[in-house]
Amino acid sequence: MRPETKEYRFDWMLWTMFLAGSRLKNGTEKEYQNTLGYVPYFSGILEALYDTGAPGKAFLECLAKYTENIVFARERGRKTAATSFCFSPAILHAMDIDPICFEVISVMQTFPYKRGSSEFLDFCNEAGFTETSCSSQRGSMGAFLAGMASEIDMIVTDTPGVCDTNANAFAFAATYLKKPFFTLDIPSVLVDGRTDEFQLADFRALIEFLERNTGKKLDEDKLRDVLREMAKQDDMLNELEDLARIVPGPLPGAFNLMIYASRFMFTGMKECTAVIEAMLHVARENAAKGISALSGGVENMRAFFCYIDHYTHNMDFFKYFDERGICYQGNMLSRSWSCDAPHVDAFGTEAAAYEIDTTDLDSMLRSIAAQNSRMPMVKSIRGPYDAPDMWLQDTLSLAKLYSADCVIYNGTPGCRNTWGMVKLLARDTEKAGFPTFIMYGDAFDDRVESWEATKDRLDEFFRVRRLLA
Amino acid sequence: MSDLLMDAANNLNNESIREWKRAGNRVVGYTCSYVPDELFFAAGILPYRIRGFGATEATIGDTYFGPFICSLPKAMLQLAGEGRYDFLDGAIITPGCDAMRRLDECWRKAGEDIDGIVPKFFFHFGVPHKYADYTLKWFVEEIIRLKTAVEKHFGVTIEQEKLLDAIRLYNRSRDLLDRLDELRTCEAPAVSGTDALAAVLAGTAMPHDEYTKRLDGFIQERKSNAVNYRGRVRLMLVGSASDDVNLVRLIEGDRVVVVADNLCFGSRFQADRVDESGDPIQALARRYLARNDCPRMFGEYESRLTTLMDKAARAGVEGVILQNIRFCDLHGAENGLFERDLEAAGIPCLRIEREYGPLVETGRLKMRVDAFLERIWQRRKAS
Repeated sequence: MRPETKEYRFDWMLWTMFLAGSRLKNGTEKEYQNTLGYVPYFSGILEALYDTGAPGKAFLECLAKYTENIVFARERGRKTAATSFCFSPAILHAMDIDPICFEVISVMQTFPYKRGSSEFLDFCNEAGFTETSCSSQRGSMGAFLAGMASEIDMIVTDTPGVCDTNANAFAFAATYLKKPFFTLDIPSVLVDGRTDEFQLADFRALIEFLERNTGKKLDEDKLRDVLREMAKQDDMLNELEDLARIVPGPLPGAFNLMIYASRFMFTGMKECTAVIEAMLHVARENAAKGISALSGGVENMRAFFCYIDHYTHNMDFFKYFDERGICYQGNMLSRSWSCDAPHVDAFGTEAAAYEIDTTDLDSMLRSIAAQNSRMPMVKSIRGPYDAPDMWLQDTLSLAKLYSADCVIYNGTPGCRNTWGMVKLLARDTEKAGFPTFIMYGDAFDDRVESWEATKDRLDEFFRVRRLLA
Repeated sequence: MSDLLMDAANNLNNESIREWKRAGNRVVGYTCSYVPDELFFAAGILPYRIRGFGATEATIGDTYFGPFICSLPKAMLQLAGEGRYDFLDGAIITPGCDAMRRLDECWRKAGEDIDGIVPKFFFHFGVPHKYADYTLKWFVEEIIRLKTAVEKHFGVTIEQEKLLDAIRLYNRSRDLLDRLDELRTCEAPAVSGTDALAAVLAGTAMPHDEYTKRLDGFIQERKSNAVNYRGRVRLMLVGSASDDVNLVRLIEGDRVVVVADNLCFGSRFQADRVDESGDPIQALARRYLARNDCPRMFGEYESRLTTLMDKAARAGVEGVILQNIRFCDLHGAENGLFERDLEAAGIPCLRIEREYGPLVETGRLKMRVDAFLERIWQRRKAS
């Protein structure tokens, strides 16, 4: 690791950068434009977000707040828990614990820096972790292993049985940093009474663990507040998802990132609600006017990503689609599995969805356990890809509902799970009539495949499959 | 070593299996050491640990699995696709790790393209990743689910008394393996690591009553044999699944003896006993789930390190080889921690990442082992 990288605390740097980024439009347009020139590796994402208007600003404020919470947790007498993107932070917020989501922070680290998270990715290997493991955790985990970030008080994840590679990263961090560690274990079948009871017992054990490590009891009223806020967010997300069905699409591509990142950071909290409300306002307006959110105004085709986005190179990803008139219809991360979600209703998968019931503690625990077990990835790759309610069914349902012209897979080479079945999935989506493309790059690490090469390959796919002229 | 044991260790469809099948009996394969063999033995079915040994290419494995996947499940699929597991009447897939879990889909989908390669009994056995009262309850239910499915599919009844007999038999073989371990870990080892691994592997690929007799005979023979491996460098082998005795043979050459291991195809197989009193299903669940030696049981590193340190001390090892198959993140990451902690305890370590399969990297591996031996010899001279 370069000496200059170690000069400042990693999370403090992120906080100050995103705080400054969130205030960039507080001045004049000229000041804004001039400032972009000073942050050449951050300007692309700032522009992509600010181009969406108020939602982009709210989202940047959300990112700043998230890192501020991490930086100042100790001073404020709060505990922190390192966790995974597919672990719903709702229970942590309900217990006054500030989450440190490794994957979210890896994405944040990838945004503003020329080298992205490469130095921290590599530090994990120096610490003994495998280079073949997923870059989504390594990107930020390296900074914590190197002692360059705020103290973590405990580590919780819910990926054993879903993504063992992910769980393994958190287990490694817990051992390396000597931190208390708890995992929610995930059975392979989703819709099953036995699974529900198991997950509830597991969730109760999680709460005991959190209570033990914070010295505080779970506050029922606070949990109720969080769940009510979550239900409100779900209602708005359902409307957003419904609006996304309209042709031309009224949602800018970046909204998808903002939807899932806000949820991964602040599910059940006002910060997340503010971002969703702002997005909903824009989407409603665009829909009412019948206009496309694409900057060119003309929608040539629609693409659905069956896994995750690509975060490197100044988030050129959304710009790439926008320039080609491709309506980016989101990915597996940006979907909610609440019982009123449009895709749940359209395909009759209510049994696989969750419902928020705040009647009493038991119903709330059942609700939060069910919601957590329907987080992205936890919901759809816990079992065989072609089993009911799993990856294939979800992909085909969503691609159909959002009128996608193609399905694209993007992940990381460290994703043992999806690489174990993506060829099979692609074969089936092709059979179902969706031209399918498998990207071989790394969403977090440009060194695996340069963004330029990735763009060329996407262009080739669209050309060869006659999706774009 | 008995030819029959060596044959079982080195051939997929070995003579014992062929004889078993000629007699009209059934064989059910499984992919992970968390499946209780005793259940099948009690049903009159031969439990068989599925291996990737003997695959010489990955054309079929690579067709279904993606590129960034451990070569062990790919080799297993390759062998299945080539029809070399046609003797299996059933297969059980467990969530041992991500790649092994996906053998489920890949095998089934390959079966849509290649007729007859998927056994008619194909079962997903859900093993929790931690030990708690509610995970044990789940595992008990899972064993009962498996038992019921086996009984229904094969038209058999697994009686409690037979299950207890099977438990006693398997415990007896574990006792024998402990005795074999004593011959291996003593000052003048009478058993090489190659033979020790073969002896354990044979137990996963032949009828267990016959195996126990042969193993007993092998131990008696070694006890009375004057040959020993005193003076050789004493190493321990740790890490990813390793079912190829040739890897141990390569490491041992004529200067090393692998006196201990912590492999799931190796001595981990004999760890603990199943309680012979009380409900046999409960007892099986406790033994198979509580044995947290695999890094798939997240958060149990400290207990695994303790086990490793104890084994190393008992066997007087001079160095530890920590190997993992490329893309095996679980063992790979844990090896990093083992290396840190064992080196800190004064035990030299060699960390190797390798491909599973027909030892295509013999030269590279041998060179690294040789360099490691030089380090150990220098320590010997210095002490």
